[in-house]
Amino acid sequence: MKRILIFIILFSFQFALSAELPKNLKWETNDSDPTYADPNAKPGGTLRKFVLTFPMTVRTVGPDSNNSFRNNILDNTWALVGTHPNTRNTIPLLATHWSVGKDMKSMYFKINPQAKWSDGKPITADDFVFALEFMRSKNINAPWYNDFYSTEISKVEKYDTHTIGVFSPKKKPREQLILYLGIAPRPKHFYGGKVPKNYTRAFNWKPEPTTGPYYLKTVKKGKSMTLVKIKDWWAKDMRFIKGRFNPDKIIIKVIRNNQVAFEHFKKGNLDTYNLLSSENWFQKGDGKEYRKGYIEKTSFYTDSPRSNRGFYMNSDYELFKTKPLREAFSHALDIDLAIKKVFRSDVARLEHIYTGYGDYENKSIKARRFDIGKVKSIMAKEGWTRGGDGIWKKGNKRFSVKLTYGYPAYTDYLAFIKEQAKKAGVEIELDLLDGATSFKKIQEKKHQVSFSAWGVKMLPSPWESYHSDNAHKTQTNNISNTDDKELDALIDKYRKSVDRKEMVQLSRKIAQKVHDYAAFVPAHYFPFVRGAHWRWVRFPKKAGTNLSIQEFDDVTHAEYGGLMWIDEDLKKETLAAKKSGKTFPPVVRIDKANMRK
Amino acid sequence: MTLIKDPLLLKKLEKFKSIKRGYYSLVLLTVLISLSVVAELLVNNRAVVVRYNGAIYFPTYGDIIPGKKFGFDYDYEANYRELKERFKNEDGNWLVMPPIPFNPYENDYIEGSYPPYPPDSRHILGTDASGRDILARLFYGFRIAIFFSLLLLFFSYIIGITIGCLMGYLGGRFDLLFQRVIEIWSNIPTLYLIIIVSSIVAPTFGVLLSIMVFFYWVTMTWYMRTATYKEKAREYVLSARALGAGHRRVIFSHIIPNTISVIVTFVPFTVVAGITTLTALDYLGFGLPPPTPSWGALLREGTANLGQQWIVMSAVSAMILILVMVTFIGEAVREAFDPKKFSFYE
Repeated sequence: MKRILIFIILFSFQFALSAELPKNLKWETNDSDPTYADPNAKPGGTLRKFVLTFPMTVRTVGPDSNNSFRNNILDNTWALVGTHPNTRNTIPLLATHWSVGKDMKSMYFKINPQAKWSDGKPITADDFVFALEFMRSKNINAPWYNDFYSTEISKVEKYDTHTIGVFSPKKKPREQLILYLGIAPRPKHFYGGKVPKNYTRAFNWKPEPTTGPYYLKTVKKGKSMTLVKIKDWWAKDMRFIKGRFNPDKIIIKVIRNNQVAFEHFKKGNLDTYNLLSSENWFQKGDGKEYRKGYIEKTSFYTDSPRSNRGFYMNSDYELFKTKPLREAFSHALDIDLAIKKVFRSDVARLEHIYTGYGDYENKSIKARRFDIGKVKSIMAKEGWTRGGDGIWKKGNKRFSVKLTYGYPAYTDYLAFIKEQAKKAGVEIELDLLDGATSFKKIQEKKHQVSFSAWGVKMLPSPWESYHSDNAHKTQTNNISNTDDKELDALIDKYRKSVDRKEMVQLSRKIAQKVHDYAAFVPAHYFPFVRGAHWRWVRFPKKAGTNLSIQEFDDVTHAEYGGLMWIDEDLKKETLAAKKSGKTFPPVVRIDKANMRK
Repeated sequence: MTLIKDPLLLKKLEKFKSIKRGYYSLVLLTVLISLSVVAELLVNNRAVVVRYNGAIYFPTYGDIIPGKKFGFDYDYEANYRELKERFKNEDGNWLVMPPIPFNPYENDYIEGSYPPYPPDSRHILGTDASGRDILARLFYGFRIAIFFSLLLLFFSYIIGITIGCLMGYLGGRFDLLFQRVIEIWSNIPTLYLIIIVSSIVAPTFGVLLSIMVFFYWVTMTWYMRTATYKEKAREYVLSARALGAGHRRVIFSHIIPNTISVIVTFVPFTVVAGITTLTALDYLGFGLPPPTPSWGALLREGTANLGQQWIVMSAVSAMILILVMVTFIGEAVREAFDPKKFSFYE
């Protein structure tokens, strides 16, 4: 054992000395994809937004760092490469060129020699080597990151000051390698060359230098935080950056209540306000400020990966053990009418899993529709009859299920579906629990049906949700207990594949199988980002990108953020008009280019 | 011929009747409660009587009547409002709808516009944000709230009076023990406990009632204990004992009837407390599970949609109306049962 250890140490030492860039690397960059910012955007001005809670720390890793403010710093900590939000091709950020190793386990990057930290120090290969050491360190007290940077990245190699290689312990398809290996640096000089022992305590209020356009300048505890744009920022003329990140200053105020924040917005103390829900868009988005044209509304249809939101039947529950009853239940949910009535027709029906995943999506699958006739024929075939109360029954069994959910805002929507289901002979009992409790109940597979939504990834990852490895046990994401041998085989193949074409084919087949299994009823998704903003907040002709998540809140996001700008002249004009009572024509901008038919 | 022979009680009732606002509040509230018992006949989307092709149907109670029976082409429950429209052109067929032809769960969406709808001839008090008739929800919400508080009253008084009486009557170690038990008991924060329970399971009427009874009986014990101590020392108790009456007879036939004024004066306030607690819990989202009609949920919706004032106005007015009536009754009862008017002190 000892000898092996010595051998490894010697070997790695040797390797470290003789680190040499592989020959015949094909270097890639991206200088041809279309730009998406407005070249005439006016720089300058101050943008005022809000957060609901003051962060407990400005660290981006470690205890309490996962707060809603963190993105304002994380967005400004650029990685090596990014994704073009319209074409989904790779775009340069800190790296000018990159190359995927032939072994499908490595990537090589040329760091932009002009790249600088916000404190003026240059960004070098050492910062990336340090990043791995930092993220693996026990001192940062972040087990998830420790694990991720140990199991997904095996090492970071420095070839010269501006050339590095990042290595993955396992083979991966090209797209995934780019996502996983295009890491962000950590400022080695700022931490004095090693990860401080007292990091979690000493750096609570010492913001790390950033690599993006803004850095955190002032923190008024409990009140506000101010991000300031770096003077003569090194990246300002890059192809995909020009015309973006226009405001000189971003003030983030702490306002602890959405209603109050909205009042501030109406008074003009905030520049933008998100109005995603139908209720907000139609009700809050109406008033004299809108009619007089001082506040405008903008809605932009996106094409980003959508959450698999919907009804998950637990196929271990007695009624849902067989497919016919699962199908009958799917046909008893009148989601389309609920969308029309409750969401005023402005959200879209989710038809299948992996919507918005580009080629990986199987667009031919259509979700099962509300159909009393189909429910009737299925139930009759299974030997069920309608009871006196109109609900299907068989022996002492009744088609009555408990629907577990944890988000009170959905009550109206689900109550509507419940009333419609009665017509089809299915009784739904609403089981509204506290968010954490409902999640626990679902994770323990104690639910009958749940209404759930999942976070999205850039690529489908079906194993966690549909593989029988994760069925019939607690604390896994296969909450429908989907258990199908053919589906398992497809998923196993998908996981092992490194060929994009094959993965696309498999992903489509998997979606079809999941549909055939009938334990998931896709519900709806918000196909757009939208909100209200004062007249002086301007956007390019295409106000968003296909991958935009939130129009106004991601003003600093490296890939799709920062398209807007503040027009100081319009601001003066609007404020003067507001005083004198002059009005402008009301503006509601809706860009439906990405809308699905 | 009167049922009540006790002249003292008769006098008290006379006195109560003479306090007009309390008396009329009692009459009104009794009418409301009795009407709410048959709410299905008054506020419902099922017709009261249907005459179709010579046969008479009473759809209100019992099983649903599928639409096919009345010539529709569906198996689910017939839409009686549509049926009524249709019957206008059919001879011999008729039906009677309840005065408010909506049930409290029904989403009534009007084509081309979105709820909440303001009050109009279709919905007298308007609808909430999901298009449900507010009057229907108020009425069924009232039934739930008032029966919740009446049941709460009944159970907590049975326990409270029994234990309080025993404490006063037996005294000694029993009294001492329960005093301590109750002191500890009353320090458990009820509201938090309900919040915790309802975040784990969706609370039903029974669960909520049991939790409330579990804590509510305590209040009554102190008053009953003192009252019993007082009565126990009176001569009539001693005489009864001397005549050989057992403990049970003494407690139930002599002491409790003589402490009735204590009990009765507290009744209305317990009812008020029951209603407000249930409403508060629903308002906070920890009460009965949705979509149960409740005043608290309506209040919450109203405060979230302050632009649509009819929602919050109707909930608040209903609350005020009922609580004021109960308080009037309480006042009148207290005055009528005030012992200072009829007791003679030695």
